Amino acid sequence: MSKIAEVRAHVEIGKTKIVPVLVQQALDEGHTAVEILQAMIDGMGVVGDKFSAGEIFVPEMLIAAKAMAKGVEVLKPHLAGESSLSLGTCVIGTVQGDLHDIGKNLVAMMIESAGFTVIDLGVDVPAEKFISAVKDNSGVNLVACSGLLSTTMPAMRATVAALKSCGLSGFKVLVGGAPVTREFADEIGADAYAADAGSAAIMAKELAAAA
Amino acid sequence: MLSKRQNLIETIRGGNPDRFVNQYEFLDIILEAPLRTRPQRGQTITNEWGVTMSWPQDQLGPFPVHDEAHRAIKDITKWRETIRCPSVEFSDERWAPAIAHAASVDREDKYVTVFFASGTFEMTHFLMGMEDAMMNFYEEPEHMHELIDFLTDYEIRYAKQIIERIRPDALFHHDDWGSQVASLLSPQMFREFFLEPYKKAYGFWKDNGVELIVHHSDSYAANLVPSMIDMGIDIWQGVMTTNNTPELIKKYGGQIAFMGELDSGPLDHQDWDAKVIAEHVERACRSCGKHHFIPCLTQGLNFSSFPGVYEATSKAIDEMSKKMFP
Repeated sequence: MSKIAEVRAHVEIGKTKIVPVLVQQALDEGHTAVEILQAMIDGMGVVGDKFSAGEIFVPEMLIAAKAMAKGVEVLKPHLAGESSLSLGTCVIGTVQGDLHDIGKNLVAMMIESAGFTVIDLGVDVPAEKFISAVKDNSGVNLVACSGLLSTTMPAMRATVAALKSCGLSGFKVLVGGAPVTREFADEIGADAYAADAGSAAIMAKELAAAA
Repeated sequence: MLSKRQNLIETIRGGNPDRFVNQYEFLDIILEAPLRTRPQRGQTITNEWGVTMSWPQDQLGPFPVHDEAHRAIKDITKWRETIRCPSVEFSDERWAPAIAHAASVDREDKYVTVFFASGTFEMTHFLMGMEDAMMNFYEEPEHMHELIDFLTDYEIRYAKQIIERIRPDALFHHDDWGSQVASLLSPQMFREFFLEPYKKAYGFWKDNGVELIVHHSDSYAANLVPSMIDMGIDIWQGVMTTNNTPELIKKYGGQIAFMGELDSGPLDHQDWDAKVIAEHVERACRSCGKHHFIPCLTQGLNFSSFPGVYEATSKAIDEMSKKMFP
């Protein structure tokens, strides 16, 4: 197995101590930082698919993301100035009136692992705060809105409406959360819907590619 | 007509119930029993475990606060240095309302029921935050086992006290093990960490007079049912429609009963509709049938978040009993 393949395989199974060692070895062998980063992103793609399919669970996904983060730490000095893998910037938050953060955090982690810079606004986020974050940060091409409670679905509707009518452009809106369905996402004018963290990362990549 | 208790037994054993068990009717839950401090709506408190809980005015319930300043366990390897087990000794005055309530219950008709929350799984992430808890199962399994054993011993010490005071017939035990569509842990990891501790705790309750263990997890947890059976759970309350309850009943009926199938989310909201509730109740009753099933909102106590929903649900269940138990 090549060193690059080893990096990818060990990210997939969440080997937090081994991945940074393998990343250093891959660099020493002459692989570029971009190649190694892409291998880790691909590994996390597999993790996301397995999570969506119910083959792995939250701990496995978190530990894989942690392994990747450890690898990225080693890569960082070598990535300076290389932005070819950046898919853009994603603003994410749980909509106003909803304090649930677990699902949102998982989505943020998977979107970051897919190659986005993530700006996490936290929970109970008013529509104006989403809009300000789009305005205040350069390169925002995705806004992800999360909600767990059926009682906060009106807030999600209002947030999407505010984002769509705020006069800013260049970004797509992705929605998700337990009570949210594809039909509801369509009805409120969101650009995309994701059922879980794995499919959110896939959808984010598709939206970035289509932009 | 069977008593509530007799009807429950006939239902969960697959005998001859004369109507649907109507939600929580068979449990008389002694909520006056002292346990741990909970915030009221609008309050933020730090409880006996050092967990900060906040209940904002506009929310349906309290949330643990897990920013850097508030996590009770910041480093699992040092949990013994930071966590102090709360006392389970309470004064006679604190126990008096619970004892009076228990004494007023007709035990021929209903089960005098202890309410216990939060269970050991929830406690792990209440103490350190979800992300840390989930990763510590992988990275620090020995410490997690020790912490879980410590939490289990606390439950047993509490059980000794309340058993002595009110002689309960049933336990209603909360521990949410999943999201709406998946368990948080794999079945293998769940068994590794929680099967034996729960066997020990539930075994203690049962060895000391508790006849019925009702476990609340309003989530998907179909993949954990074999563990639930091994732990000694008699009724899983909170089973959501995402679990395919009719299939679970076919597969496990007789070993465990299922209470729920009426997801609170789409029914219990500001604009609730009695007609919609009745439709959901009819679907639940017809698809799950008369045995090993108790139609119930998935909410973890005998009320609803919005006034009238619980009562409308009970009324609809009574209507289904008239139709299906002529």
